[in-house]
Amino acid sequence: MSNAVLEADNVFHSYSRKGPKVLNGMCIDVPKGKKTALLGCNGAGKSTLFSVLNALYKPEDGKVLYNDKPLTYKHKDIIRMRTDVSILFQNPNDMIFKPYVEQDVAFGPENLKLPKEEVESRVAEALFTVGMEKYRKFPIMKLSYGQRKRVTLAGVLAMRPSVLIMDEPTAGLDPQMAYEVMEIAEQLNASGVTVIMSSHDTDLTYSWADEIRVLHGGQCMYSGLPEPFYSDHRKVQTAGLIRPSVFMMNKALSDLGRCDLEPYPKTQTQLSVKISDCRDRDFGTLNILMAETDTDIAKALEDNGLTDVTTGIYGLNARIAADATGFKPKFRYNGPENCTMKCLSGEDAVLICDSRMVDLAKSSAEFINSNGYGKIDIRSV
Amino acid sequence: MDSVFELKDVVFAYNQTAEPILNGFSLEIERGVRTSILGCNGAGKTTFFNTLTGVNKPQSGEVLFNGNPVEYTKKGLMDLRSNVAVVLQNPDEQIFCSLVEEDIAFGPLNIGLDREEVERRVDRALKDVRLIGLNRRPLQQLSGGQRKRVAIAGALAMQPDILIMDEPTAGLDPQAAVEVMELAEKMSLKGVTVLISTHDIDLAYKWAETTNVFRNGAVAFRGNGDEFYSDIDNVYSCGLLAPSIFTMNKDVSAIKGMDPKPYPHNMCEITAKFGGSKRSGKIYMVPAEAENAVSKYEEVVKDAKDSTVGIYGSEVRFELQDKDIEFMFEGLDYCFTQAVKGKDTILIYDSIYAPTIQRQIDRLKEFGFDADTEVVG
Repeated sequence: MSNAVLEADNVFHSYSRKGPKVLNGMCIDVPKGKKTALLGCNGAGKSTLFSVLNALYKPEDGKVLYNDKPLTYKHKDIIRMRTDVSILFQNPNDMIFKPYVEQDVAFGPENLKLPKEEVESRVAEALFTVGMEKYRKFPIMKLSYGQRKRVTLAGVLAMRPSVLIMDEPTAGLDPQMAYEVMEIAEQLNASGVTVIMSSHDTDLTYSWADEIRVLHGGQCMYSGLPEPFYSDHRKVQTAGLIRPSVFMMNKALSDLGRCDLEPYPKTQTQLSVKISDCRDRDFGTLNILMAETDTDIAKALEDNGLTDVTTGIYGLNARIAADATGFKPKFRYNGPENCTMKCLSGEDAVLICDSRMVDLAKSSAEFINSNGYGKIDIRSV
Repeated sequence: MDSVFELKDVVFAYNQTAEPILNGFSLEIERGVRTSILGCNGAGKTTFFNTLTGVNKPQSGEVLFNGNPVEYTKKGLMDLRSNVAVVLQNPDEQIFCSLVEEDIAFGPLNIGLDREEVERRVDRALKDVRLIGLNRRPLQQLSGGQRKRVAIAGALAMQPDILIMDEPTAGLDPQAAVEVMELAEKMSLKGVTVLISTHDIDLAYKWAETTNVFRNGAVAFRGNGDEFYSDIDNVYSCGLLAPSIFTMNKDVSAIKGMDPKPYPHNMCEITAKFGGSKRSGKIYMVPAEAENAVSKYEEVVKDAKDSTVGIYGSEVRFELQDKDIEFMFEGLDYCFTQAVKGKDTILIYDSIYAPTIQRQIDRLKEFGFDADTEVVG
């Protein structure tokens, strides 16, 4: 398979000689450049698979391929692979190595023998991305669980990986922090990083992932788009899962004749659009204000005559710019979705958006336009 | 208001120099009400729970339990803790013994119950959390989800008046999470006051009658979740987001020019609200016990071959786990959604849940939907 960046080919693994096979003939691929969700009940083998893909464990049998080449498990090859493939463990305490925040974030890049200035700039950027720059000199001991999670995420980002593995990234985080972690994952993927994530939150993964992989009993029982899997209740039940609520609500409302079954809405907003049936009305304009870190947002809004329009925000650079000037958007979270709904109800909205995230920001509005649910003008300013 | 707990101006800090975690904290917990505790990391949720159980003694302010001030003596605390059970987020922090049954018996033995009563309670609790047959299993051989259930069983065996669950579904896979919430519902039906703290706002919104939101060691909101989420600026400032079903109702109601009230809290309600009027499908309601679940199931599917089947309650589910059942989990919501769609369904449930199902029937009336139900067998 040429579009797989990582692949396990008939892999077996157990934690002790007589113990059960946690991976039992596992065949799975991680498609390059995509967002993939790894699903399965407790004990299905998700975390073990991640450790095998990252060469933390050498499987008893079978092959792991990285960019189509089998791993050799020679020290040099493993190091080379790990500069490319980073893993974020579920529990941040499992991956903290140093007493102070900046030391811990620098740990990976220093191991790569990068020049000192390069390490420093990477640490600064990574801490910025996770919103922890203020805590640079802090002892990690004094940080909360959620803050530690951000520090470990910064450590992973500082490696500038091309593949990011995330094990239950939102577990234990409060809703806003969980949202921010997902936005960072979204942003990395938009810049070309392959992301694979395990999670028990089926609603979250359904709205996020391009594809799913479902593990059961140490094997991959399903690989592909989520909809065919969730349409088969026997498979879902065997896997120990529950069907996503957006998927089920769409099914219920389409059975009632309120909307067609397809296209499948991925988010609650897209579902709202489908059932609102608002083709014959006036729509607002979705203004997209592209922001860099040094954009003066209030002034940019004024220059474009958008001062009194409802605002939302999306993406890191836009958030940095807003924080720097003390600008307070109406929708600090779910900005693209909330702004799109405003337009649908006939009002204008302006989305202050990281210039690298524009395509993603438009996706809900384009879902509406391309499927004929409405006609929202999208204007870049 | 009949409150089990009342906190008045409580101030608590972990040491004299530290900043107080609870800072002029006042809250009443109403008896028998399903109560959620929300707030971002560091808002004071865990410290609050430890204050309820007498682990934390406030530096100032009052803690009333059943109307009387908590006495921080050995006897006073024993009395408090035999009535208030806690399930911690991480089960490993509350596992004391090496075998499952020993661990569940630990609390009841500590309050001086006799051996026979303890055994009865352990058996009952194991059945409630569906760990039958694992009595003599060493705890370290169990998965994280199973250990969580052992911790819950230990709390149930205390037969508490108040059950506090800190992040009960964290780390559980989706099916196990559904069963834990069914268990919380069962405790409520038995008259237990259940308090749940969680980061899962969708889950809390679906479940709770009263929503309490903490911010910086004080109560930022107490009341109805619909009211709280209507003020999005306040929601953000508490470190939270609005539940997706709430947002969806608000958005679609606005576009269609409908009243956002009544607020749907689950799938069948939102389907009833926006699905348009249709004649209800028939819901064959089958209350069952473990002993007769299989025979009742076989009887009812024989008569209604084309109906989909849903399950609510872990006892019935355990007996029917090998059957081909479409809605093995969340059967209540799914079956009522089927009825809204005009399709016939069969809902088989642990008979204790009859009031929960009646509540759903009444709720749907608020959305103008009259469910056509018939109790069978």
